[in-house]
Amino acid sequence: MLASKNKATNSLLKSEKKSLFRFLTLYIAMVLFIIITLSIFYYQSQEKLMLYDQRATLTKYAYIQTKRLKVLHHFFDERVKYPRDERFKSAIYDLEYHKIFTLLDDEDILFDKEIYIRNGHIYLLKGLDEFYLGAKYLVIEIEDDGEWRGGIMKDIIIYSLLFFIFFMVFGLYLTKLFLKPMRDSMLLLDRFIKDTTHELNTPLSAMLANIEMMDTSVMVDKNKKKLTRINIAAKTVSVLYKDLTYLTLEQEKENEDKILSLKEIISNRIEYFDILIQSKQIKIKLNMKSATILMDRRKLVRVIDNLISNAIKYNRRNGVIEIILRQGEFNIIDSGIGISKENIPLIFDRYQRFNDAEGGFGVGLSIVKKILDEYNIIIEVEAKEQKGTKMVLKW
Amino acid sequence: MVKILLLYMILVSGLLSQDSYEKNCVACHAELPTSLQRMFMRYLLVYGSEKNMKVGIKYYLKNPSQATSMMFDIFIESYGIKKRTTLSDKELEEAIDIYWEKFKVFGKLK
Repeated sequence: MLASKNKATNSLLKSEKKSLFRFLTLYIAMVLFIIITLSIFYYQSQEKLMLYDQRATLTKYAYIQTKRLKVLHHFFDERVKYPRDERFKSAIYDLEYHKIFTLLDDEDILFDKEIYIRNGHIYLLKGLDEFYLGAKYLVIEIEDDGEWRGGIMKDIIIYSLLFFIFFMVFGLYLTKLFLKPMRDSMLLLDRFIKDTTHELNTPLSAMLANIEMMDTSVMVDKNKKKLTRINIAAKTVSVLYKDLTYLTLEQEKENEDKILSLKEIISNRIEYFDILIQSKQIKIKLNMKSATILMDRRKLVRVIDNLISNAIKYNRRNGVIEIILRQGEFNIIDSGIGISKENIPLIFDRYQRFNDAEGGFGVGLSIVKKILDEYNIIIEVEAKEQKGTKMVLKW
Repeated sequence: MVKILLLYMILVSGLLSQDSYEKNCVACHAELPTSLQRMFMRYLLVYGSEKNMKVGIKYYLKNPSQATSMMFDIFIESYGIKKRTTLSDKELEEAIDIYWEKFKVFGKLK
């Protein structure tokens, strides 16, 4: 699964984007449906109005043609020439809709309609009181120049656009209202983390410094174990503290990009996490060659720390972490709980957590993604539930 | 003798070759001042379709009356109402079918 570069991931949660997208899709579909429906009604009413105007002319033609049919009827069959007129075409049908004679181009007549438009022609169906030449129906056809249609379409386009613009502006206002509770809750969480982080600094530094300074050689084994546990807990909190500090304070700082040796930094960070690795009896397999990257050290350390700490945190006891480093590629493979296929695209979202058994705010991978996006580094995630996770960084 | 026999045979075969319409309608109508064509057009004016017209003619021939006649009153006063037909339904329908085919408007207009 490729988690491709997406700078919007961090500014707008996927769930937030999904809700917004659904709302906007539904809203636009609704607006378009209303516009189309109104346009159809408007078009139909204008067409009826036009036909109403044409009815008088066509009825006059029908009257003229009826008179001619009457004459022909009385002189049939000495005269057999059907009466023609330059202004219109006509046809006659009997009671059973059988064609007696037609001059029309389209012989498929709609006998259930009195007046209608089809294929650029207007048709009037006139029922005769007396069946001259056996005709019950006289059909009159005239050309439809379509001028009326141009005017209507222009009106429809102009009014539809105005309507659409108005509703889009209204939609934007609605979207803001719609997103406000979500944004408010995110801001609240951000503010809470910022305030908490600030208060964590002093006690955490004191804990870590004092653990380092303690003389373990004079301790009994029982106390040594307890101290190790305190050290693990303090380092876990320290990683979280650094993430939160980065998220709330440091990310705005200017980058100090340098060419960094990845092998050295990774080795240092593994050493830092050694006590956590030992506590879970995880085996580390290192396959590292020299590799460099132009990056801010602070940010690189955040990426490496988060990837290693996740590989430890979600690994099983006696599990394995394999680290492969080549120029332009860094792989970290663990034998942990893995991630389900549907959750892979969501792991980089802020405050997203898929395992309640482990603590955390769900900000680690969000930070990783944000930093990788900034440096155009691609991250690929392959995972299988209960088998493990493989993260590949390519630059 | 042979000549007489030949003439007799021609007359008999002529009579036998006449259809129901020629045999039962034309002879009487020939004596009337209105042609069968004009009468056809009067029926057509009222009935408006082949099926209607055939049913109308058949009914009139079986039940002739002034009320169901298509002719003007003055015509009826001069020539009266025809006698009720003695033809069978089959003969009557055959004669009406031929009458329709002979004078129908379909296919004649140009």
